[in-house]
Amino acid sequence: MTSVIAEGVEIDRVSKHYATLPVLDSVSLRIRAGEFVSVLGASGCGKSTLLRLIAGLDTDYSGEIRVAGERVRDTSLQRGIIFQDHRLFPWLTAAQNVLAALRNAPLSLAKKRRAVAEHIALVGLEGFENAYPHELSGGMAQRVAIARGLVNRPRVLLLDEPFGALDAQNRGRLQNELQRIWQHERLTMVLVTHDVDEAIYLGDRVVTMAPRPGRIERIADVDLPRPRERTDPRYVALRDELLAGFGQSSTVQP
Amino acid sequence: MSDTVTLHLQTANGQIPTQPPTQTRRWRALGWVLAPWALPTALFALWWLGCERGWIAPQILPPPARVYATFVDLGQSGDLLHNTLISLQRVLCGFVAGTLGGLLLGTALGLSRTFEAYVLPSFNAIVQIPVLGWLPFLLLLVGVGEPLKYILIAHAALVPATLSTLQGFRNVPVTLVEASRVFGYTRWQRIVHVVLPCAVPTLATGVRLAFTKAWLALVVVELVASSEGLGYLIVYGRQLFQLDLVMAAVVIVGAIGFAINRALDALERRLRRGLPSAFR
Amino acid sequence: MARFTQTFFWRNAAPRCDCELNREPAKKRKLPDLRGFVLPALAFAIWWAVSTIHGGKGGLLVTPEQVWHTTWQQVTSGALTKALGASLAREASGFAIGSVLGLALGLSLGLSRLATRMIGPSFDTFKQISLFAWIPLISVWFGLGDAAKVVFLSLAALLPVAAHTCDGIHAVPRSYVEAARVFRYTRWQLVWHVILPAALPSVFTGLYLALIYSWLATLGAEYLLVAGSGIGNTLIDGSENFRMDLVLFGIVVVGVTGSLLGRLARAAERAVLERRGGASVKESV
Repeated sequence: MTSVIAEGVEIDRVSKHYATLPVLDSVSLRIRAGEFVSVLGASGCGKSTLLRLIAGLDTDYSGEIRVAGERVRDTSLQRGIIFQDHRLFPWLTAAQNVLAALRNAPLSLAKKRRAVAEHIALVGLEGFENAYPHELSGGMAQRVAIARGLVNRPRVLLLDEPFGALDAQNRGRLQNELQRIWQHERLTMVLVTHDVDEAIYLGDRVVTMAPRPGRIERIADVDLPRPRERTDPRYVALRDELLAGFGQSSTVQP
Repeated sequence: MSDTVTLHLQTANGQIPTQPPTQTRRWRALGWVLAPWALPTALFALWWLGCERGWIAPQILPPPARVYATFVDLGQSGDLLHNTLISLQRVLCGFVAGTLGGLLLGTALGLSRTFEAYVLPSFNAIVQIPVLGWLPFLLLLVGVGEPLKYILIAHAALVPATLSTLQGFRNVPVTLVEASRVFGYTRWQRIVHVVLPCAVPTLATGVRLAFTKAWLALVVVELVASSEGLGYLIVYGRQLFQLDLVMAAVVIVGAIGFAINRALDALERRLRRGLPSAFR
Repeated sequence: MARFTQTFFWRNAAPRCDCELNREPAKKRKLPDLRGFVLPALAFAIWWAVSTIHGGKGGLLVTPEQVWHTTWQQVTSGALTKALGASLAREASGFAIGSVLGLALGLSLGLSRLATRMIGPSFDTFKQISLFAWIPLISVWFGLGDAAKVVFLSLAALLPVAAHTCDGIHAVPRSYVEAARVFRYTRWQLVWHVILPAALPSVFTGLYLALIYSWLATLGAEYLLVAGSGIGNTLIDGSENFRMDLVLFGIVVVGVTGSLLGRLARAAERAVLERRGGASVKESV
């Protein structure tokens, strides 16, 4: 597989309102090409909204968002997004769902089919190409969604709490899968999550957002080798620090 | 581990998405409000114009003025009230009888598996025969009198009422039944405090459906075999080629059906409000 | 108490795990429950006894033998084929025309907000008027024969198809539309590849109802527009000539036909939709 050309994302003083409610307040962030950024925050801090703006699903805001130097005006095959609900089309099989993402890709049908097969293998679902979404478990369906998000070789992959609907076991497994895919493909990934653990485990940097109005509170570098050890003292210390920002600590006072 | 705080406190100054000026938006809003009237108005205008210009013969379609005059006539002579009341009386009696019967039957079927085993197959077979199919049979049995109407309308209401009631009983979520077991409810308590409240929304839908069928049955039976009532007015007007009478009667039939349907719909929605929509 | 609670326990779903496909457990075969036959058998026995004792000298109390005789006669003389064939042919035409028009109308209403706003309320109001009330008007404009009947049947089929198609399109979840946006689907691709497949279950519900309603409408039309032949005419003739045996025969035919049509529709729907994860047609009347 040829490696993907990753691109950086520039978010420049982005503000958004719903009626009079400020959702995002002058948010600025620079994401380097090939970087994995975790955006962490409680509900209502605008992180999902920010992701949708980067994807181009929403263009009603002030400020600029640039990917590879170009302004984001609309959705693009270069910016994949994976949602918390897998959004697989129930009338298509897993393979057909992945193929559906390629409908407008400038590839021949043979190349498309090959890409589908490659990506199904990438997420570890060989043998399930002809299963319908209702026959798959939640974790498997989300994996198909990831394959579907990657098959267009996007430069930036956006993930909106992709494992939020899964149980702990599946979540851990898919976090590892995602990490493996990222290390393999080296594209830019932006992961939105409310799980501090997930944010530190996967990200090069953790951007913490605060609500009302949505804004960036702090950005922490995660300077740990991969794969991260959840028991590494530096990991634990960082997690404690970030949790403290939410008003919690991992050590229980006797 | 370094801390990088990157907050930019400058005021945002990108472009604001353009909005059309307020005046245009007001016009558009007005247009939106009035849009549903465009089609009926156009049709009415066509109707009026067609009769005025003689494009349409009065036997095919009487002019609006004549239909209106007939309306007024019917109202003033008391014919309208008389026939409407007869129709209403028939449908309400039949509807109430059929619905009550349906509720009872459905409850019996829902509560007792034995009763259901004996009765439900026969009931399902009878349901296959539409109300219209029973009409000739009943005509022979009871003739062209009031009983015919009542029986047919009651039957039309009974079927959906029974099925809905049965469905309401069957659809009680297992989780709630289990919870009531944990609390040590007796069977009677469970029925009254868990099953019935859960079944109410489905029952409400069933009642509304029963009325729709009852109204339909009323119209049909009055068209086929009646000497009084709104359906009769329609047939009478048709036979005398007085289309203005026919149209007036059709409008009234539509209006009454519509009104009662709306009322039942509102009632149903009120009853559903307590429970989430998963409990259909 | 245990038996009562037992009735409300459905099968326990197996816990989902990532290691296997989630397929429904195969249904176990049960012995047929014969208790349902008790009531009809009893009723039949009573009927037979009473009618035979009464002597079966004409009049309304016909014996089962008479009904059987009439049935046999109707079938062998070809009268049944002719009548039922005519009715079904008319119903098929009405259903086909009404469905196609209904689909077109439903599609335009569903896909265009403006059309929904302009035509929707009038359509809803029109739907409320009892369908049969239109027959006398239709008979004035189209006569009493086949043309009028097919017009009426088309109308009966058009209404549910249009309504359910439109509703189905409106109910397509925004999440699918957004996913398609990310894939840069053109408007045409969106409609053809996302909205229509997503709305298909609803369309099938509409078609199922259209089949049922057009069958009912066929009967009603034959009662009221008496020119021509059909199973409804057979029934009405039977009642006018005081031939209960003919009426009973007709009722059974009507019931069986309606039932078969319903099953046909449900089977067709299952065939198309089952792979996707279940049909949506409710059994309620």
